Amino acid sequence: MSDETDNADLEEELRQVVAQIDSVPPALLEAAVGALAWRTIDADLAELVFDSLVDQDEAALVRGTTHGRMLSFRARTLSIDVEVTSKGNSRMMVGQLVPPQAVTVDIRHGDSVITIETDELGRFSAGPLQAGPTSLRCRTGGDTLQRPVATAWVAI
Amino acid sequence: MESDEIGVLVRAAAGGDSAAWKAIVDHFSGLVWAITRGYRLGPPDAADVFQTTWLRLAEHLDRIASPERLGAWLATTARRESLRIARAAARTTPAHDGTLVGLGHVDDHSPEQAVLDAEQAMLDSERARQLWRAFRELSDRCQQLLRVLMASPPPSYAEVGAALGMPVGSIGPSRARCLDRLRQMLTGKVSARLLCTHRYEKQRLESIGV
Repeated sequence: MSDETDNADLEEELRQVVAQIDSVPPALLEAAVGALAWRTIDADLAELVFDSLVDQDEAALVRGTTHGRMLSFRARTLSIDVEVTSKGNSRMMVGQLVPPQAVTVDIRHGDSVITIETDELGRFSAGPLQAGPTSLRCRTGGDTLQRPVATAWVAI
Repeated sequence: MESDEIGVLVRAAAGGDSAAWKAIVDHFSGLVWAITRGYRLGPPDAADVFQTTWLRLAEHLDRIASPERLGAWLATTARRESLRIARAAARTTPAHDGTLVGLGHVDDHSPEQAVLDAEQAMLDSERARQLWRAFRELSDRCQQLLRVLMASPPPSYAEVGAALGMPVGSIGPSRARCLDRLRQMLTGKVSARLLCTHRYEKQRLESIGV
């Protein structure tokens, strides 16, 4: 049988050790508190529906081309496909909006925003970007985009 | 925190109330952090997962249908993102010997040992250092489970289940088993691998009536 009282005591001891060694770093806590400021209340959310990192089967990986990571986001009115290539800590991004249209895209990442324009075929490229959580916010200006569309955040 | 209290905070934060948002972050950040650490992500990757999880929640505030599930929602998000990043890391770094990693093996000159040394230095008593050393010799799965259970404030079993992708019913027994093992390692001062061998041997002898 397991010694339940002993386990409870041991668990309490372990709890104190973990608290000493591995509590949330204050800088991260501060960044999390700041995350609310990135909230977009006027935008439709484009969910991450495909990520080659987790959605591609192993066989495809073995056949593997040397392409970067493919991400697809989908909102009601718009899809966004992105290919991300890495070099150390920097990321290059090439993307395509469907349906194709010329819009303004805010690439939100780290503490900053990089603003770019898509061409009339809905294509865009950006970089180098710092690795880390990133979201694209497509602003109106195109023919079909009634409301802004923001993608789910994903660490690239 | 009661679920109706969480509900009030979620609605307030969705309306832009930063104090309410901070209260949510303060309450659940220990859990989210413990999950990223449980998946053994290094500091930069753990930081990415942690921040991504909170950014996701900020965008989802007005889509959280049942506030009592908020902790589980955060735990699920942190788990998925941890697995995603762990997979990315596995692709870009040379493969390790999975069997050694699986045993939680620590060799003398590994980066893992350096981390362990740094951790030990933060502890103020020999007993605490001993406990932590024994903890780090547990199987990955035990370390992961106990690490999440040790989050502050202590998470519910629903949250732990979501954090580790395991059925709620198996958390209690696994918890007891992992703590038993930890205690035996401390008292017997045997390594995890020797212990496994001993236990197996003991069970075998018992089973044949010795």
